[in-house]
Amino acid sequence: MKWNRIAAVTLSAAMVVGLAACGSSGGDSGSEGGSGKIQISFLNGFTGGDGDFMKKITDGFNSSQDKYEIVESQEKDHLTQFKANGADLLIMGDTDLYTYAMDGMIQDVTDIYEKAGLSTDDFVETAMEVATVDGAVYGFPLDIHPLTMFYNKELVSDEEVPKTYEDLVNLNAKLQAQDPSLYVMTVPGSGISEQYWMALAAQYGVELEEDGYCNFAQDKLADVFMKWHDMVFVDHLSPANMGLDSEFTSFAKTADDITTQAAVSLTGVWFYSTAKEVYGDNLGIAPIPAIGDSSATYGQSHNFVISSEVTDEEKMDGIVEFLKYVYTPENLLNWADSGQTPVYKPTMDLIRENPEQYPVPAVNVDTVSDCAFSPQVYNGIAQTNYVTENIWGKVTTEENLTHEDLMGLLEQATDNAKQLAGVQ
Amino acid sequence: MKKKRKTAGVFFAPFALCFVLFWLVPFVYGCYLSVCNMSLTRGNQGFIGLGNYIQIFTAGSVYSEAFFRGLKNILIFVVTSVPLLVIIALVLALIVESLPEKVKGIYRTIYFMSYAVSVTAVSAVFLWLFNGNGGYINNVLLSAGLINEPVSWLEAQPFAWIVLVVATVWWTVGYNMMLFINALNSIDSALFEAVAVDGGGFFSRLRYIILPGIRNVMAYVILMTIIASFNMYGQATLITRGGPLNSTKSLIMEINDVIFTNNNLGEGSAMAIIMGIVVMLFAMCQNWLSKEKKEIKEVSGS
Repeated sequence: MKWNRIAAVTLSAAMVVGLAACGSSGGDSGSEGGSGKIQISFLNGFTGGDGDFMKKITDGFNSSQDKYEIVESQEKDHLTQFKANGADLLIMGDTDLYTYAMDGMIQDVTDIYEKAGLSTDDFVETAMEVATVDGAVYGFPLDIHPLTMFYNKELVSDEEVPKTYEDLVNLNAKLQAQDPSLYVMTVPGSGISEQYWMALAAQYGVELEEDGYCNFAQDKLADVFMKWHDMVFVDHLSPANMGLDSEFTSFAKTADDITTQAAVSLTGVWFYSTAKEVYGDNLGIAPIPAIGDSSATYGQSHNFVISSEVTDEEKMDGIVEFLKYVYTPENLLNWADSGQTPVYKPTMDLIRENPEQYPVPAVNVDTVSDCAFSPQVYNGIAQTNYVTENIWGKVTTEENLTHEDLMGLLEQATDNAKQLAGVQ
Repeated sequence: MKKKRKTAGVFFAPFALCFVLFWLVPFVYGCYLSVCNMSLTRGNQGFIGLGNYIQIFTAGSVYSEAFFRGLKNILIFVVTSVPLLVIIALVLALIVESLPEKVKGIYRTIYFMSYAVSVTAVSAVFLWLFNGNGGYINNVLLSAGLINEPVSWLEAQPFAWIVLVVATVWWTVGYNMMLFINALNSIDSALFEAVAVDGGGFFSRLRYIILPGIRNVMAYVILMTIIASFNMYGQATLITRGGPLNSTKSLIMEINDVIFTNNNLGEGSAMAIIMGIVVMLFAMCQNWLSKEKKEIKEVSGS
């Protein structure tokens, strides 16, 4: 009996202690690890190939430090982690920054720029614009990753690299004559599709933001979707019904009787390593062609942001030291190695000096200043996701889609956007 | 007597503690959240009564659209996957049980092994199999001359549902099969001999011995499969991403989006509570139907 009781009480106590240990990390209190250094929790979503390059930066900082230690955590859904468990420092995309700033989850870092020896003029203007909310700066821009064009040099000669829509049409005609399984490109059914319609919206000069919500119900935006639709069903530049990430997967395949191959891929820079593995020296990189009225492209940015929970001075000093380390031009080149384009001007100058060493950033370093971004509205991701999930799929699958159909759907999307933005 | 009660109390305490901590507290907290204007980032903006529930049942509301789309999708999945998961599991169990003792264990392991594979690995395999551009299934079907052009398995309906149902059956049918095997083993072998003596064949054994003999396990399997199907998340997230056009987005995926993308924990909690009620109603219906059947049989038998 006695032993039973002891076992039961021990088990119960163990469970309670276990639960208590599941408390949140991060936050205000300055924590010291086993090394005796002041620890700063750093959360990011670099779970792909770029994760190693960020790790190189944090490892470099940690080995240079006696006082501070960056405890980096790379999580697939790092913002959910941040909401649930907190963190001192994190990487946030421009698409989320506005909402988190409005909700008071991240802090105004205007004063920290000076402490870190930085000025907002050190960064590309467009990146600073999306890191700024109501005149206050909430982030330190790390990079902009615009939609980028990869091409297969075996199928596309230097003279044939498409710069306009007509170039795409002509190249496609040549490839189709060569082999019906060869297309100039593939329009993806899902995956990076938001960047597709956003890029063309930028080229058509569509302004989505209106009074705090996204106004999708615009004829010009319907034209954008119809243009992509017609590329598939009228000009046949891409096969129909292509799936997730097919803009890249079909680029990496070899054409045969039942496999479509694309000569060009408008895709994200994170596919660079894989593309390089597949094509080696035959991989070409260029800005996306001008399909609409201008040559603008769509990009997203990564920013270092600081949790509003961080008020401890020592911890803040540690973050400042880390930022000083990151924004040393040579140190930030580690990030350019990943294929991302840093937007810190002194590092951009180094990239321009060594274009062969940084092939993707060297192409994008001059386009990032013309990038269009997602609208700065509350719950912006939820608003644009609705369009991507409910409308984009029709573009690549419904041959009989019309401008009127699209306008009806876009009006519905605008109603929903108003609700999600909290203005209705 | 008092001492016995104390002993029982000590043994009961760990369960009671777990029940309170991991079921009762989250459930009550979930109910509380569902009547609050709560977001993960802004915190609790206050009590709003049935406001979140009213939103779900208000036509034109973004949350109403999400909830009923998710509910419709998951009902399609439940209706198509549950019968297959039960029937195929029973057929496999009967086949394995009819095998010689020497190989029985091998086949039982083979059929059950898929259940031990993670949903991520299962999804990766099915993505490769059903890829519309050069995927394995299309290659086989085209080579065999069964189709003239590749099928967009993941980008068009009803193919996307077929892929999800096939993947789910392949992944989880082994678990139900094991339950049926255990139930079949518990049937008295003398009953089978009696049917054989009476000249009964396989279908007589199935109808008069096997199905009545595994009735309780069958009810349990159906109930648990319905609940598991309502909670389908991993396969749709990883294989179809809820597409095409949100047509395979399950109710759990919708709730997840409302909480984490739309940043509305209160509304998501209300959706989860209603989903719980729907699942409970299904479970009650199934329970009622199996009882009804039992009573009818007993009456007709007497």
